[in-house]
Amino acid sequence: METTVSNKLDQFIADLKASQIAMPMALQEAAQSHLLGQDFPTTKAERFKYTRLGKLAAAAFNSPIQLDETQLKEHCIISDAYTIFLNNDQIIVPQSLPIGLEISLLAETSTAFHEPGFNDIFGALNVLYAQNGVSISLAKNCTLDKPIQIVQVNSGGKYFYRHHFQFGENSEAALYFVSKSTADTTSFAHTHFQYDVAQSARIKVSKIQDCSTGHFDFNEDRAKQAAQSHFEINTFTLDGSFVRNDAAVKIEGQHAQTYLNGAYWLKDEQHVANYTTMDHKVANCESFETYKGVAADKATAVFNGKVFVRKDAQKTNAYQSNANVLLSENASVNSKPELEIYADDVKCSHGSITGQLDETALFYLRARGLSAASAKNLLLQAFMEDVLTYIKNEEVLNYIHQRIAERFNWSYEAKSK
Amino acid sequence: MSNYTENELAQDLENQEYKFGFVTDIETDTVPIGLNEDIIRLISAKKNEPQWLLDERLKAFAIWQNMSEPEWAHVHYQKPDFQAIAYYSAPKQTKKYESWDDVDPELKETMKKLGISMEEQQRLTGVAVDFVMDSVSVATSFKEKLSELGIIFCSFSDAVQEHPELVQKYMGTVVPSTDNFYAALNGAVFTDGSFCYIPKGVRCPMELSTYFRINAGGTGQFERTLVVADEGAYVSYLEGCTAPQRDENQLHAAVVELIALKDAEIKYSTVQNWYPGDKEGKGGVFNFVTKRGMCETNAKISWTQVETGSAVTWKYPSCILKGDNSVGEFYSVAVTNNYQQADTGTKMIHLGKNTKSTIISKGISAGNSQNSYRGLVQIHKGAQNARNFSQCDSLLMTDHCGAHTFPYIECKNPSAKIEHEATTSKIGEDQLFYCMQRGISEEKAISLIVNGYCKEVLNQLPMEFAVEAQKLLAISLEGSVG
Repeated sequence: METTVSNKLDQFIADLKASQIAMPMALQEAAQSHLLGQDFPTTKAERFKYTRLGKLAAAAFNSPIQLDETQLKEHCIISDAYTIFLNNDQIIVPQSLPIGLEISLLAETSTAFHEPGFNDIFGALNVLYAQNGVSISLAKNCTLDKPIQIVQVNSGGKYFYRHHFQFGENSEAALYFVSKSTADTTSFAHTHFQYDVAQSARIKVSKIQDCSTGHFDFNEDRAKQAAQSHFEINTFTLDGSFVRNDAAVKIEGQHAQTYLNGAYWLKDEQHVANYTTMDHKVANCESFETYKGVAADKATAVFNGKVFVRKDAQKTNAYQSNANVLLSENASVNSKPELEIYADDVKCSHGSITGQLDETALFYLRARGLSAASAKNLLLQAFMEDVLTYIKNEEVLNYIHQRIAERFNWSYEAKSK
Repeated sequence: MSNYTENELAQDLENQEYKFGFVTDIETDTVPIGLNEDIIRLISAKKNEPQWLLDERLKAFAIWQNMSEPEWAHVHYQKPDFQAIAYYSAPKQTKKYESWDDVDPELKETMKKLGISMEEQQRLTGVAVDFVMDSVSVATSFKEKLSELGIIFCSFSDAVQEHPELVQKYMGTVVPSTDNFYAALNGAVFTDGSFCYIPKGVRCPMELSTYFRINAGGTGQFERTLVVADEGAYVSYLEGCTAPQRDENQLHAAVVELIALKDAEIKYSTVQNWYPGDKEGKGGVFNFVTKRGMCETNAKISWTQVETGSAVTWKYPSCILKGDNSVGEFYSVAVTNNYQQADTGTKMIHLGKNTKSTIISKGISAGNSQNSYRGLVQIHKGAQNARNFSQCDSLLMTDHCGAHTFPYIECKNPSAKIEHEATTSKIGEDQLFYCMQRGISEEKAISLIVNGYCKEVLNQLPMEFAVEAQKLLAISLEGSVG
């Protein structure tokens, strides 16, 4: 049968393979109806107001290059971790795992629960075209001795991934997601993360996004937290011409704590959008959001945070802040910190600042003999550093510092151990 | 003036009304229900408008037909049926009550609390009184003084007849008909409104108030206001009044355009207290207003609003800071109670160098109401050293209401400084306790705290307005804590 390609989205989808993951029928149908007659959203759609998808629609993706394990290992940041490699269709899972930690492939798990709903066409596409992903579960009372590291190397093509995480009661883990790509690739990756954080679990997720110029990186995080749990998503965007992060956390049990942090160092024509949704469904919880960034050259940064405080979520404390420094005439920043509050006994605040470095601080440093450039760099480093304090792993911190130094000529002294 | 008698005054008043184009016989002065080109031609003909204005109306109508009602606001309501409205009816004072005893006692009580004089109360409720001596004489003497200075302050239809060149030059320059659904609708069917022109270098010696103009001209459902301050001029303009207005029109779609030329300053204060619907949320006015000001070099526009009425409010008084060193300000108190919904805020568009804007928005939600702040701060590439400070606070009085903030901040210039802060909280129990411990009743304590919370905005209002606005806040929130 001959098919006519009617729009750019159809063209984009045309060569995708159907999902290998056993998805619930209802979710698939919902995704199909969401996509029916759709094209790539324009800037008229509220969620894409500041994101132009023209480049994505026009991109010519090179065919994926298969990398072997040694090549993949070069992209590792943490040397001592339970490391999973992802490259196109292949997923390499560590052989020996401690008791309590289970890692399997989602395509081989038929019983997985998939959170219904998606925010945009990419979420719907993921439901229909996600090839594979990992399903990780951590048992009750289990504290991991080493972090879990997922290294995704993009080497061409268009890929949708789906990862599920289940953290048992009172478990503790650190998860690092490293997204990189091989040099000069034009690729697309959309990853859906689903976290289920049980009571009193303490989970820290950090994402290090350091892809090539030609890579389009989409991330969709969906988390739900039970009572007394502590959950963090820290996102660090170093490189990659197009990055879109969409993190949504639902708090379903009392006395839970959530941190959503982000830092971005942008230059050239980078476009980075961070969307967050904090949904306070129950009382006595806290959430903290800090997103900070610098934008040079023609880069654009977007922050859209949303805090919901539902009717029953009394005594909620929710804080949200977004701070930006523009370093050039052509850089721009769009910030939209939103609050939607339906409970009265709450403390919620948000702040958004866009500005320059403090003149008096610059003067202070210049007076002590620093050049204009190094005084500026020092202050910018300090400005960004408070988000970096959420990283507890030194290898990761050093890696980030090193990459910033390469890209921005900021010098960091290696931390002495 | 000494020979001027009451009868003459009455005569003047009637003549004035006639002059504004309203035929005294109300029955025949309504056009058929519905909206089409013929209706627009009819409105235009009735008002004896020049051809260019009719063309503008028809153009706006064509644009409106291709638009759909906006749905992005955080409000829910039954969309009005635009074909079920009579677009032209004599908007003059009609006799709503035969005698003072017929007036709703609740309304009387409210007015008494606001400290409105007996005569004024009767005038506002539309009771068949002869006329109010006070305000008419005041209005007349005001007019004389203004015309001495060359200030034009009249109804919009009057301005179309007497100063067509000014109206044609400025109308639609700040809010074009293409702007939005309601602006287009207004452009097509607006019936009347106010026009104000302050000549070069003139400082208007008094607060101009539509309140006085209403006596003479009357106001409509689709108002159009145009205020032009020529180079170096200053004007303070008051719109609305604190007294409750029981209006039978459900839909209000007004357009306000302010133009501040070089070195000019316009201060525009609004107190809006349209009928908010009953305690169950039935009825009430839909207030969909487009307000915008254009600032040329060194000009300043300051919007101050106290919004307590209307069932649904959709209103974003904005400033386009086009000229270098221009200043935009927005001070707002929005109170919602029972089932009221408000989606209000401002837009500050920074185009010129060294432009400054300040946004202070205080939202108070009570009952089952929803109160949203929606704002845009946009710094364009050429806006070197632009500065913005925004503060949006929300106060929640009950656990059934909602307070929301949707700020958009867009910056394309590295030298700009933008700060945005928002907080949401309820009245501190310790504050209440402190007041009550000192013998202040709960109601009074709440009103005291609320007034303190709104002080930054209320301070911007002209004196008399501020006093009334404070009382209005207290009344709007009566019995709302629970």
